[in-house]
Amino acid sequence: MEIKRFGDSELIAALSPLATGENAVRQTADMYGNSQHWFRLDEPAKLVPAAAELAGKGARLTMISACRRVMETLTQDICYHFELKGMLYTLTVTLTEACPAVPSITKFFLNADWHEREMIELYGIPVSDQPNPNRLFLDEVLDAGLLNGAVPLSVMMNGACSTDLWERILQGRQQKEAE
Amino acid sequence: MSETRTFSMPLGPVHVALEEPVYFNLTVEGETVRKVHLTSGHVHRGMEAMAMQRNFYKNATLVERVCSLCSNSHSFTYTNVVENALRMQIPARSRYLRVMAEEIKRIASHLFNTAIQAHIIGFGSLFMHVMEVREIMQDVKETLYGNRMNMAANCIGGSKYDLPREKMDYLAKQLDIIEPQLREIQDIYANDPMIRTRTYGLGLLPQKDAIALGVVGPVARGSGLKVDCRKDTPYAAYDELDFDVITRDGCCAWSRVQVRMAECFESIKLLRQCMERIPEGPIVTPVPDFIANEAVARTEAPRGEVFYYVRTDGTDTPVRLKWRVPSYMNWEALGVMMKDCKVADVALITNSIDPCVSCTER
Repeated sequence: MEIKRFGDSELIAALSPLATGENAVRQTADMYGNSQHWFRLDEPAKLVPAAAELAGKGARLTMISACRRVMETLTQDICYHFELKGMLYTLTVTLTEACPAVPSITKFFLNADWHEREMIELYGIPVSDQPNPNRLFLDEVLDAGLLNGAVPLSVMMNGACSTDLWERILQGRQQKEAE
Repeated sequence: MSETRTFSMPLGPVHVALEEPVYFNLTVEGETVRKVHLTSGHVHRGMEAMAMQRNFYKNATLVERVCSLCSNSHSFTYTNVVENALRMQIPARSRYLRVMAEEIKRIASHLFNTAIQAHIIGFGSLFMHVMEVREIMQDVKETLYGNRMNMAANCIGGSKYDLPREKMDYLAKQLDIIEPQLREIQDIYANDPMIRTRTYGLGLLPQKDAIALGVVGPVARGSGLKVDCRKDTPYAAYDELDFDVITRDGCCAWSRVQVRMAECFESIKLLRQCMERIPEGPIVTPVPDFIANEAVARTEAPRGEVFYYVRTDGTDTPVRLKWRVPSYMNWEALGVMMKDCKVADVALITNSIDPCVSCTER
């Protein structure tokens, strides 16, 4: 795809050192030539300097997408999408057993509040320093992290050929025993 | 001397002046609102979880049901994001057809919001008149797509329906009918003393707050921000078409309605250009094999930017499909707009952001 509209080179240069892994910095384009920039940050803590950089440039937080936890590796991706002068920048952080929380970016982006609260209630992701960690949509009687807990029918049907379902059951049993 | 008392006042979740269920807890001093706390969740349907249980084709139908007024914007942005993930190009004719479906919906959506404003003010005859004029666009949707709300115009790889010349002639005729009527309505919303008294200077959102809160659509443009995805990062056929981004700098409820009314004429302009310039050719291209990838896409819905993210793993079902609607960005601006307003103005200010609860909660 021929790129017609490029991103902010200063911003890209500032964000790149925070994502040093293999293929951690990527550029793609949509079918109309608008460039999109992707950064897989080295660790969740790098989100703070990255958000500060974006806020300093006048970027706008457009959305935060938490993904379902991968049971095999117990890792979970969160994508932070920003817009600056029409171009899109996505920062991806991976939560691990050793590093299970993500810092709040509400001090840089006021509108991060709802997005962070939504990922707390749907995926049970701990967000440190969140100033208003109350439920957003779901009733208090429902467990946090519902989307991590539910076993989709497709996973159930594939139970015979993947370990995902059985790992969830095992994890649930171990949790009960620990209690 | 009497003591000023602060007390809590509930409004909603169901209220005659609210389009959808949402609950406000207002802290008031006499008639003056000091603080607003919003509680949502009354129509949360878990649609993102449902999307991860369905294949990409079924999801085109699902996302169109997130909301009725901007139903087309969801299927439009969804097909864009899937096409980005699959690295597809859609046919040129389809790019124009997509613009046409979107702009037809925009006129109908803007007129609905302005009509509701008249209803809240108590200007019953204007409410009925605007809704009657809006029926012209409803008829257009029904005639062109067979449905007045969910048009099912988009599919992965292009468009579901072609518009033959006789249908375009019908559309052109209806645009000629609605245009002068919209001019009259625009004049009423701009100059009528009752409308001006109730809305001018009401629900102020200064530009610096609009930037800080990241608001989108007519709410942002009513505070003087020139933001519009159709211009900033053009998609479909928008970069081949001539139109203006409408802004007003009053930062109030009146300015937001002025933006919406003026945008109806830009939509008419876009529709006429599409009918003139649409190329002949196929309207859909075959879908390639699914690959593992991730993509984002955004479009300018009537209420502002709609944003989609998809992550795929090479199967026909998304690993993650997430979307964010314009109202999601605009709700928190109500805290600024309602500060020190009168209780009687709460519903009117809420309407000025053209809120969509079912979109927000999904």
